[in-house]
Amino acid sequence: MAFNSLLTKGKSFTALKNAVQIQQLANGHSVGNAMASMTKEKIGSREIVGFGLNGQPYYFDKLDIPMPAIRFKEITPDIQVLREKEKGDWKKLSLEEKKALYRYSFCQTLSEIKAPTGDWKGVVGVSFFGISIALWLFLLLKLYVYPPLPVTFEPERQKAQLQRMIDLRMNPIDGLASKWDYEKGKWKE
Amino acid sequence: MFRTTCMQVGTLCRGVSLLRNNRVVTAGANRFMSSHSTETDEEFDARYEAYFNRKEIDHWEARKAMNDLCGMDLVPEPKIVIAALKACRRLNDIALAVRFIEAVREKCGSKQKEIYPYILQEIRPTLDELGINTPEELGYDKPELALPNVYDVHG
Repeated sequence: MAFNSLLTKGKSFTALKNAVQIQQLANGHSVGNAMASMTKEKIGSREIVGFGLNGQPYYFDKLDIPMPAIRFKEITPDIQVLREKEKGDWKKLSLEEKKALYRYSFCQTLSEIKAPTGDWKGVVGVSFFGISIALWLFLLLKLYVYPPLPVTFEPERQKAQLQRMIDLRMNPIDGLASKWDYEKGKWKE
Repeated sequence: MFRTTCMQVGTLCRGVSLLRNNRVVTAGANRFMSSHSTETDEEFDARYEAYFNRKEIDHWEARKAMNDLCGMDLVPEPKIVIAALKACRRLNDIALAVRFIEAVREKCGSKQKEIYPYILQEIRPTLDELGINTPEELGYDKPELALPNVYDVHG
């Protein structure tokens, strides 16, 4: 029974899907059109002129792929005039018009892409800030939290430890005792 | 799982036996090697020159070839650049021409002071003929405009 109802549900779902599809077709929206309208939403009336990075209609400035897939700006009446003029002799275009046409197609020049941003200053500043906080923390811990060092860190104790290591002839081949002259009672030259 | 493995091994064996049969017939036809291009530099230049010189070249093709050239370990020969600039003229796209000269300038890399003046000198007649300005003349050799951070634009 349950299986049956599942079947009918499946059927009704298919029917619904078909109905939606038919409605979409009647409205003139197929899947392809939906995607095209999504693209259109993103790029507006900007002209698609090339392959770009991966065939997608995105604008980006990149040194190793200098020609993006679409133009940077949408067409405006001003640009339309310039584009008509561009069809004629380029010598008749003024420098400003050429630059306007360039900025219509591209956002940044290649030297602008390469221009340093100065971000490194902020990075260095924040790093030093972090290091200083760590140093202050260490100092405060040293002053107020840690107990004093154990007695074994006192110079007399350390000397006595070294003397005992020599007396025990520790590491006599190439270590400590090998450097001690036991006949003269001092370090070897 | 085991069955899948067996099937895989079986397929592999069949492939190997086929390979051996083939090798008897056509020696060398089935060697697993990368194919090396035998195109000489001159042929390469001629190919790209001819590509850009095609009458029916469109925006897509021109830009694709330019991007491809920019992805290669080379600086395009002046004759390729000239052909590309003429293609831009036929496409009525002066921005593309300027951008391509800029890209060629970038392609010179650390040898920019040696190679770029040579290319400019070679393409100068074409630039004058078509009325294209070099990036230097347009002031694009140095950063002209600053780009605001996108996070500030719509903040």
